[in-house]
Amino acid sequence: MILPIVGLIAGIIIALLTPLRFPIEYSQYIAIGILAALDCVCGGIRAGVQGTFDSTVFISGFLVNTALATILTMVGDKLGVDLVLGATVAFSIRIFTNVGIIRRHILDKWFKKTGK
Amino acid sequence: MKRTRKFELYVAGVCIILGILLVGQVRTQEYIGKSQIPSRRLEDLSDMLRRSDAERMILEKEVEVLREQMSKVVEGEKTAETIRAELAKVRMVAGLTTTEGSGVVVTLNDSKRQAGPGESPELFLVHDNDILQVVNELFAAGAEAVSVNGQRMIATSEVRCSGPVISVNNVRIGPPYEIHAIGNPDALDSALHMRDGILDTLRAWGIEAKVQKLPAVQVPGYKGGLYFQYAKQVPEGAQK
Repeated sequence: MILPIVGLIAGIIIALLTPLRFPIEYSQYIAIGILAALDCVCGGIRAGVQGTFDSTVFISGFLVNTALATILTMVGDKLGVDLVLGATVAFSIRIFTNVGIIRRHILDKWFKKTGK
Repeated sequence: MKRTRKFELYVAGVCIILGILLVGQVRTQEYIGKSQIPSRRLEDLSDMLRRSDAERMILEKEVEVLREQMSKVVEGEKTAETIRAELAKVRMVAGLTTTEGSGVVVTLNDSKRQAGPGESPELFLVHDNDILQVVNELFAAGAEAVSVNGQRMIATSEVRCSGPVISVNNVRIGPPYEIHAIGNPDALDSALHMRDGILDTLRAWGIEAKVQKLPAVQVPGYKGGLYFQYAKQVPEGAQK
C-alpha cells in the first residue's frame, strides 16, 4: 500500500520542481484527466485487494478512459453541451464505488485480524 | 505477494501522473485566481475579446482611411508648395515683386543749353521716345528688370508723352529720369554707349545722360492694378 502513496508524492515533487503550468484553455481537459487518473488508481487498488488485477486491463482502461473523457469534453465544447459533466459524474460514481469496495475489504481484513 | 507488488507498481505509475496533473492544475487555478479572472467569467471575457477584436478591425480600417487621407493632404501640401514656388517665380518674371541685382542706373535730364534762334526748345528736352529707346536698348542688351522713375516696365507698360511730362504705367513722371536696369552691367553699359547709339544722339542735343554701373540695383515691383478685361487664357489643348 505504500508504493502508490510514494508514487503520488514523487509526482507532486516532480511537478513542484518544474515550473509546470497548463494553458488555461486546457484546464477542463486536465481536470477530467485528473479524475480519470484518480478513478484508475482506485480501480487498480480495488482489483489489487480483490486479487483480480491485470496489468493489460489496468493500462488499457486508464488510456481508453482518459481518451474517451477527453474526446467527450472536446465534442461537448464543440456542441456547446457540457458532456464533461457526464464523464465527471461517471468517474465520481466509479471512484465512490471502488473506494467503498476497498474500504469494506480493508475493514474485513482488519476485523479478521482483530477477530483472530 | 509478487502479484500485490506488481499492481502497486502500476498504480504508483499512474499516481505519479496524477500527482503531476494535480500540481499543474492547482497552479493553473491559482494563476487564474491571481489574474482575478473567475473561470465562470472566462466566457464573458472571451466574448468581450471577440467584440473588441471586431472593434479593433473596424478601427484599423479607419486608421487606413485616415492615413490615406493624410497622405493625400501631405501630397496636396507638396503641390501647394510647388505652386507657391512657381507663383513666386512667375510674379518675379511678371515684374510684380521688387528685385535686386547688378545692373546700371541711367540718368537723363533736359539740356541746359538755351535754344538758339530758329531752334525749337523741344529738341533739348527728354522725350518719351528717348526713354523708350533707352529702355528698348537695355532690354535688347539682356536687362531682366527695368524701371523708369520707380515705374516697373511690365507687359502692359507704356511710355508716352503726356503734355509737359511723360506717362509710364499711367503715372506721370518728370525729369530727371532715372532708369534702373538689372542685368550684366558691362553689357548694358556698352549697349547704351554704342557708336551712334542712343546716348550719342541724346548727348548731341545736350541732354545730360549718365550711366552708373552698380553691383546692386533695386527695381521696384509693379504697383498698379492688373485687369485683363479682354484677354482670356486659352487652354493648352485648344491653342492654334
